[in-house]
Amino acid sequence: MDNGEQPSWLSRLAGSLERLRQREDQMTLVLSVVIGALVSLVVVAFILLTGRLAARMYPPGGSGWRRILVPTLGSLGTGYLLWRYFPFARGSGIPQTKYALFIHDGRIRFRTVFGKFFCCSASLASGIALGREGPSVQVGAGIASVVARNLGLETKQVKALVSAACAAALAAAFNTPIAAVLFTLEEIMGDLHAEVLGSVVLSSVTSWVVLHLVLGDEPLFHVPAYRLVHPAEFGVYAVLGVVGGLGSVCFVKLLLGLRAWFMRLPKSTVWVQPAVGGLAVGLMGYFVPEVLGVGYNQVEKVLNGDIVLQLVVLLAVLKIVATAVCYGSGNAGGIFGPSLFMGSMMGAAVGGVAHTLFPNYTAGPGAYALVGMGTAFAGIVRTPLTSVIMIFEMTRDYTIIVPLMISNMIAFFISYKLQKEPIYEALAHQDGVHLPTHHSRSESERLQVSQAMRSAPVVLSPDMRIGPALHKVEDGAFDAWPVVGAGGLWGMIRTNDLEQAAEDGASNKKIAEILDHRPPTGHPSAEEFPHVHLDNSLSLALQRMGAIRLNVLPVVSRENLRQLIGIVALNDVLSAYGVAKAAGEPERRR
Amino acid sequence: MAAPSPARSFLATLSLVFLAIAAIFAADMFLAGLERKESRIEAARLFRQGQTAIARGENVEAIERINDATSFERGNRDYRRTLAQAQLAAGKTGDAEATLTDLLQTDSTDGLASLTMARVLVKEGRFREAVSYYHRAVYGQWSQDAAANQLRARFELIDLLAHRDSKEELLAELLPIEDQPPRDWKMRARLGQLFLQEGSPARAAALFRGVLHDAPANADAYAGLGEAEFAQSQYRSAQRDFQTALRLEPDNQTARKNLDLANELLTLDPTLRGLGQEERFRRSVKLVELTGAEAGQCAGGNPAPDLQALLDTAEEAVNPRVSAARQSDAAESNLDLAEQLWAARKECKPPPPADSPLALVMARIAQ
Repeated sequence: MDNGEQPSWLSRLAGSLERLRQREDQMTLVLSVVIGALVSLVVVAFILLTGRLAARMYPPGGSGWRRILVPTLGSLGTGYLLWRYFPFARGSGIPQTKYALFIHDGRIRFRTVFGKFFCCSASLASGIALGREGPSVQVGAGIASVVARNLGLETKQVKALVSAACAAALAAAFNTPIAAVLFTLEEIMGDLHAEVLGSVVLSSVTSWVVLHLVLGDEPLFHVPAYRLVHPAEFGVYAVLGVVGGLGSVCFVKLLLGLRAWFMRLPKSTVWVQPAVGGLAVGLMGYFVPEVLGVGYNQVEKVLNGDIVLQLVVLLAVLKIVATAVCYGSGNAGGIFGPSLFMGSMMGAAVGGVAHTLFPNYTAGPGAYALVGMGTAFAGIVRTPLTSVIMIFEMTRDYTIIVPLMISNMIAFFISYKLQKEPIYEALAHQDGVHLPTHHSRSESERLQVSQAMRSAPVVLSPDMRIGPALHKVEDGAFDAWPVVGAGGLWGMIRTNDLEQAAEDGASNKKIAEILDHRPPTGHPSAEEFPHVHLDNSLSLALQRMGAIRLNVLPVVSRENLRQLIGIVALNDVLSAYGVAKAAGEPERRR
Repeated sequence: MAAPSPARSFLATLSLVFLAIAAIFAADMFLAGLERKESRIEAARLFRQGQTAIARGENVEAIERINDATSFERGNRDYRRTLAQAQLAAGKTGDAEATLTDLLQTDSTDGLASLTMARVLVKEGRFREAVSYYHRAVYGQWSQDAAANQLRARFELIDLLAHRDSKEELLAELLPIEDQPPRDWKMRARLGQLFLQEGSPARAAALFRGVLHDAPANADAYAGLGEAEFAQSQYRSAQRDFQTALRLEPDNQTARKNLDLANELLTLDPTLRGLGQEERFRRSVKLVELTGAEAGQCAGGNPAPDLQALLDTAEEAVNPRVSAARQSDAAESNLDLAEQLWAARKECKPPPPADSPLALVMARIAQ
């Protein structure tokens, strides 16, 4: 300090924080833990508040009229609030979070977080047949966005923390930390190798720890230990996959169709539309109360084989309709929970029939309900890996994994074939938003170097004199040429360097004397020795060309970097993308 | 006024975040506490409904209610134990087993859960496993009245072993109780009966005497003591005790039957102490007569030569003219003859009943 005083502890702390702030990666990791804890606490509050409100709206022994009135009034009230004050808090929350990440640089307003929290809590408590997990993700992401922006972080850090918060929210809502990480990477980021993996994992784990601190160690569902009774059961699980896949497609198409219909109605009716969903679910709930709300207690019952076959079938059908109407009409709530509900009911129905027909060869309906949950999730949300891990974490039952994988993959395949667009993509398209999709990403990665490679028209030797070398390449179209000598490829020599050497009167010098690279020794990196391999994507080739400002790269063997296979030129890459004409002759160097 | 530095602003925001974390944590704890309290109340209400249904014998209804109660309060072991009992009563042994497996996984020393599991396994015919769970119940933890419950579990196991006629295992279960007999004389009387059944009449007699000390007018104890003495060939004592039992409880048919048997034995047995020489001789003749008749009946119309010879000897022995001085020797040879005839009779099918007076006397002579 200038005045000679010792710096106060506050100043020292601020100094330490400033130093930490400068190290972006470390800062993001530290903040992931803080965000994980905060989001977990908020999600727990959301779940508990919703539960307590629901308990008051539907006291034990409540009369039938309540089941019509409460969801209708609840959705009418929250519908008005959503329309008037919180327009971005409608729906699930997953697409909205993706919009924030991919379009708005991770920006979610506090007002949206506030609206989502309270409107969702009220509408879910009133019995709307939607889930709490999607909204939890949006609330969590919103909190991370608000905090990160107020901390003055860079956009990249804000987005990383928003992703981490998604995982934290899901880990707290489902009590499934691994599935939360997978879902964030698989669905929200669309990339299992995303850079934010560290933050996402840290945040998810912190959230899970905090959840356990507050609510204790209880899985979402308690299920008996099921086991495979007979190998023939795999056949029944495959049938379940087919049923789950078809059921998922029906649900998604119905939801999208109803949503499109509601969206075509006059704008002035938007505020009242959610009440249609509320009334529909209320009328169903009057006759079949189990259809109200997210229905996890019914799921637990069916997992324990405690619901009769007829009711199970009825609930599967009613839940598909109720959720589609509630979501389509613009209520706030997600489809994760309802997916699990529908899946468990479809599973129990298939299992119930199979067990009636072949009691000695099949487990009870509960085992099929368990697998059915994952099946519907894979079919509707289209994240098969997440769904397998999620069911495992929810139930902590390992024995069910193999049937679950079989059933999931079949449902996923059927859903993919019959409904090309995954539900979140389709919802975004209905909103007029085009998000980057896994399909579009993989499409760009699909074109490989092998599709644009050609053999090198000129190969120089390191012992060659610069004058003759320049003469040899002066009609060529490329910026650089491969130099191959003893031991293989030495590197690429730029035409500019040859010309410069000739101008400097060094025409008699050997290429080896002016080449940046030494004779082949060791294992150089791509930075030291720019190259591509046959199976690299063309986008990577473009990226490397840009980095070294050359219009050509050597294609080398993966086994031996010094083994030249050919070259890939900019024009050929563009031609492969359909941008330039296929080059019969390479373009002249400018 | 100078703008705050980024670090200070960062610190201020971070402090607010931590403050929010603390506040929401407090709110969460309050809400979680409220939920737990309300859940407990709702669970207790449903559990009471379930218990009422059990009392009415409506076990399916009870299962539904208690299931609902456990979903509200998953950690309550009492609910789950009662659920398992209702499932067992409803014949849903598979469900009961699953419930109990879950319970015992979290606490393998749970006495009541082990006992219920043992009952489930007995119902499923898995006796070996059931015995193992009975042992867990006997040595397990009980929330209240542990000693009485452990004893009850052991008696249940004993009953099972007695029912399955597993005498060695039965004795192994009875001996620990004998070391520390229960205070309740009814249980001691039951224990005496079990020792009798297992084949330890001396231990049974000791227990019945103890019971009679506490309940001197107990007819069952007298009858039991009589049986224990009878099994130890103390026929006179047994006769007295059966008589006492019948005096206390004239309708006790078992005691009457046993008394008749004792009376018959006492008139037939030549080895009883205190018999005169003439009476002993007379009884030996009677035995030769009875065993001869049995052997003759067994051989039918065409006995083997050896047996025919014995039968002829027996015919001579039953019409004797023996002087008083030779009666003792004659009695001995008669008993030898009776033993030979009885041995020949034993090869017949069906073999003679082991509890008939003649068989009992012959067994005693063979000793």
